[in-house]
Amino acid sequence: MMGMGLLEWVLELLLSPQVFAPVVFPGLVTALVVLLTIIWAERKIAARVQMRVGPLYVTRRFGGVLQMLADGTRYMFQEFIIPETSDKGFFVFAPVLALAAAILPFAFIPAAPGFAPVKHPLAALGVLASLSAAPLAVLLMGWSSGNKFAIQGAVREAFMTLAYEAVVFLSVLAMGMLYGTLDLEEAVYRQVIPGLLLNPISAFTFFVGMVMSAGRLPFDIVEGEQEIVAGPYVEYSGIVFGIGMGLAYLKLYAFSLLFSILYLSGWEPLLPLYSVYPPLGGLMLFVKAYAVMLFVAFLRSVYGRYRLDQALRAGWRIFLPLALASVMFSAFVKVVAYG
Amino acid sequence: MGNLIRSFVGHVRAVATGLRYLLLPNRMTVYYPEKLIELPEGYRGLIRYYPELCVQCGLCAMVCPAGAMKMYVKKGEKRGRPGVNYQRCIFCGFCADICPQNALEMTKVHDVAYEKLEDMILSPEEFAQEVKSPALEEGAVKVKVIFSEERGLVHEPA
Repeated sequence: MMGMGLLEWVLELLLSPQVFAPVVFPGLVTALVVLLTIIWAERKIAARVQMRVGPLYVTRRFGGVLQMLADGTRYMFQEFIIPETSDKGFFVFAPVLALAAAILPFAFIPAAPGFAPVKHPLAALGVLASLSAAPLAVLLMGWSSGNKFAIQGAVREAFMTLAYEAVVFLSVLAMGMLYGTLDLEEAVYRQVIPGLLLNPISAFTFFVGMVMSAGRLPFDIVEGEQEIVAGPYVEYSGIVFGIGMGLAYLKLYAFSLLFSILYLSGWEPLLPLYSVYPPLGGLMLFVKAYAVMLFVAFLRSVYGRYRLDQALRAGWRIFLPLALASVMFSAFVKVVAYG
Repeated sequence: MGNLIRSFVGHVRAVATGLRYLLLPNRMTVYYPEKLIELPEGYRGLIRYYPELCVQCGLCAMVCPAGAMKMYVKKGEKRGRPGVNYQRCIFCGFCADICPQNALEMTKVHDVAYEKLEDMILSPEEFAQEVKSPALEEGAVKVKVIFSEERGLVHEPA
């Protein structure tokens, strides 16, 4: 009797949004699966466009889908070297901080109607605020490494943050104005048609800001593999380097979820699975977010890297005015369509 | 403004081109250990030595620009026989060209890997063995390269 009660209590705890959402979906476990598959998908897509085959020999029958698992295992068994010249405490602490900042947004992202760990009228701001904390940790990573490439990468990260932060915040503000709320769940309900069609300018600027923030091509200026060999992550080795690499994809995942909620009407149309268990209704949201991520991964095969000054110029001279225009456009649509 | 619109159109075009390649892939990679490109006549791969033709003149060792070819003299014999060091060989084919007896031949095999550096130094006896391609040994299919106007390079079974 007592045992049954305990079991039910544990099950209820595990399936409650406060535990299930950050740990399983859309949180850690899903993020890990996304991480493992999106990197493979990115390599495969780039290979297809460039007339190659891409990763193949790990699980050949499935096109090498387990390649990243094999790479991750290799990272696990590599030595983690702490350089003599680094600031050792911060050197070890910074990646942990960065990872924590990248995982934090999942606390605010609702996976399905009524299924968010933290339901707050300012949830959209919460996601953005925690996401914009990650660059600070990256800055710390680069600074504590005590390596000139790492410091250069860290400074680039700071510059890039200046380029996209205002754009992303303004784009979300435009959508907040349009929906009359910054609560992400409410935002989905208020989309009569997807936000992408309601305010395409905001969707475009948010998308570009997202690509800049996640450091994907054409804006992988921070890592700049060919110029500054992985930038802030240059001194990291083993699994911690894997964390540095996964960080960008985690941010991209969080941003894609936000993009799907704000511009692609989130989990609508709601699957009938929702009545079985609420997060299953969020499957639609996941599919949309994954498609957005695949498109961002695809950009890698089209573009080369912009220079830092080009990215900054684009951020301030083109995308900031566009984001401001999107706020104006939102006001216009609000008056015309919503009355 | 016109400049911006032009560049936006350019970006859209670039993405469209990428998408076209993504949806209609045109892979040119040869799946190597399963398939092997048939090499043209006169290809300069690993060298095969025919001791029965050799007159032991030593011209091959003399002409070798990389110092890879070397004459090994057995005890009791006056003249040596050639052995090759593939750490040095640049596959120029001078040795095969200069040989008055055609005792050296450039084969079409080039896909051999060695586990140890010492394995790359071949004595005259090892040098005289038939050169085998590991991929062909394991049943690789030979393909030939054909240039096509639409697709670029196409590989067909030879």
